[in-house]
Amino acid sequence: MTLMHHKILGLVTALYLAIFFLHILYFAIKKEVLVRSIWIFLYITLALHTGGIIFRWVDSYRVDMGHAPLSNFYESLIFFSWCITFMLVLMKKRLSYPVITLFASLISLILMGYASISPGVDKNIQPLIPALQSNWLHIHVITCFISYAAFVVSFICGLLYFFNMAWTGSPSRSTLEEINYKSVMVGFPMLTAGILTGAVWAHYAWGSYWSWDPKETWSLITWIIYALFLHARFVKGWRGKKIAIISIIGFFSVIFTYFGVNFILSGLHSYAT
Amino acid sequence: MSVIKNNRGEPLPAKEKSLKNIILGFFGSVRLAVAVLTFIALVSILGTIIKQNAPPDEYLSLYSQTSLKIISLFGLDDVFHAPWFIGAIVLFVINLLVCTYNRFFSYFRAEKKVRLPEEKALMSLHMCFKLNLEREKDAIAIIKKRFRRILYQGEDGVVLERAPYAKYGVLLIHGSIFIILIGSLIGLLWGYKGFIVLHRGEVKDMMVVRGRAPKEIPLGFALKCRDFNVSFYPNGAPRDYVSRLEVIEKDRVILEKDVRVNSPLSHKGMHIYQSSYGASPTFVFRVDGEPVSLREQDSHEDDGFIMIAMRFEKAIHDFGPGVQVAFLDNGEPRTTWFLRDIPRMRQRDLGGKKVVLEDIKEDLWTGLEVSYDPGIPFVWTGFGLMMLGLYINFFVVPGKIFLRRLPDSIIVAGVGSRHIDRFGEIFEKIKGNLYDTDAS
Repeated sequence: MTLMHHKILGLVTALYLAIFFLHILYFAIKKEVLVRSIWIFLYITLALHTGGIIFRWVDSYRVDMGHAPLSNFYESLIFFSWCITFMLVLMKKRLSYPVITLFASLISLILMGYASISPGVDKNIQPLIPALQSNWLHIHVITCFISYAAFVVSFICGLLYFFNMAWTGSPSRSTLEEINYKSVMVGFPMLTAGILTGAVWAHYAWGSYWSWDPKETWSLITWIIYALFLHARFVKGWRGKKIAIISIIGFFSVIFTYFGVNFILSGLHSYAT
Repeated sequence: MSVIKNNRGEPLPAKEKSLKNIILGFFGSVRLAVAVLTFIALVSILGTIIKQNAPPDEYLSLYSQTSLKIISLFGLDDVFHAPWFIGAIVLFVINLLVCTYNRFFSYFRAEKKVRLPEEKALMSLHMCFKLNLEREKDAIAIIKKRFRRILYQGEDGVVLERAPYAKYGVLLIHGSIFIILIGSLIGLLWGYKGFIVLHRGEVKDMMVVRGRAPKEIPLGFALKCRDFNVSFYPNGAPRDYVSRLEVIEKDRVILEKDVRVNSPLSHKGMHIYQSSYGASPTFVFRVDGEPVSLREQDSHEDDGFIMIAMRFEKAIHDFGPGVQVAFLDNGEPRTTWFLRDIPRMRQRDLGGKKVVLEDIKEDLWTGLEVSYDPGIPFVWTGFGLMMLGLYINFFVVPGKIFLRRLPDSIIVAGVGSRHIDRFGEIFEKIKGNLYDTDAS
């Protein structure tokens, strides 16, 4: 059964690919008009992406399983990708550098592409198992993925810090650092909110707010890394390379919390695969 | 730009290096915090890689002899309860408390006196502008909307402040971690978890507490399962499972609730969760014409005759469900199978009695998790305070505005202590407001 949202999300994936090529074109001919068109494309893509998620929500009612599309691995990939683009648009003033939008939309493209191509990802709307039937699901998933998206931006800045990309119109190192802190300042409270809402939910669903499940433990590890980032920067006054390295390590921890735990370790969160 | 004031958390330049200061310096240092947190993070990784709290056989099949020795030596099969892990958390708490203690006084020291700087000093500030004298009232009115606190008021001008509480954000975050850990300690010391299996209609007042040696303890009240239902999606996945429970005290039903996943029952500080369900068979026999209902492992005795329903099989080859029955034949223990769907195998002569298996009914049971955790209010309070602290620390923009009267004009200047760029935006807005009304 092909549902409306599959078509829309397919188009969204194609648009991310188009945005990627627009960037390549920009780096080749360096016309400012391309930067503007990149942003127009990003706005259109975000609108369609939002529409795709809403349509999936509506479609889920059509197949009599009505629930927000935040419940399985496919839906989380789509939502993760949405959060990254949302973050770009939200922080346009700061993030309006082609090299940053390139990497961010490339990660969105990879997530969307993986979601639609990988045979291991079930694209169907699945019924909501009893453990997930809770309003905490929405707030927990949304806060977690907004934090992940913010950490994606932080990671890109940390990575760019090590490359001299002046020819791409890359921001200066101090600007990169600045954006890096800004995104951790969004990501850290959001991750905290994600962990705490998860804990409260776990209390109501499983009877224990913390059970050292691998997903929980890894989210705590990620939290500690970004807490160290903030203390290193603002209390110890670390700058430059060291901070960039912490943001890269932090992102690997995010990736492991999101993917690694599901694929390598098993636990209570196993329905996310 | 700085989110957290650049205060090292160590005692401010001590006049003398007393032992107390050295100890406070060490236990309150950020370096110790970094070391302890890194340690906790690293061993937590171990705790997710090495199988935790599994039965011994599983370890034997998973790991080699040598690695098993290391695992058991350091307690790596239960990292999060190992003494050295608890020790690290205790060290972290000490660090947190000493660090807070060291910083505590600096919170109030800065409070004491606010001066209105001279014209020159104000003009050298990054954010400042001049206005006509007669605009003073407007200016104060507009600034007061965003800077509510008056720090100083005199002939020469005013000092106004916004979000003076912002400096407590860090204190709140750190304090909340302490409160959460206190809550979890209370839970560890006085809380417990148990399990109850109830068939439809069954009443129990005991629960099984898990652990190395499971034991039954009283619930403090009786729990009756009036009904239990499972519904499924078309694809076979469970949609909902509901236990209709009654809490009974002194033979009176005092509470009734449909307990489902995500919707526990709470009574006397105890939470009862829908955790699992299953089916167990009931065997309906007729022994010499008398009806006898047995569950698995139940026995029936009558006048020297004894039979036990040993084992249930859903399908014996292709012959449908059956039950193995043990009985005494002239003092000799024997077993035999009864098959429900094969007429020839439904009737047997056991030690002189005619036994007929009339039916096998599958009864649903509900598995309920019970938890008692008196630390929960602390943990929830800690969660709330942590979110509040994070909000204050990352999203509230504190700062001061100085307004000084000069003979021919007034100077308005701003100083932000944190989130300087956002403070700048607020300052620019005020400036814009004043110039707009000026033009009209």
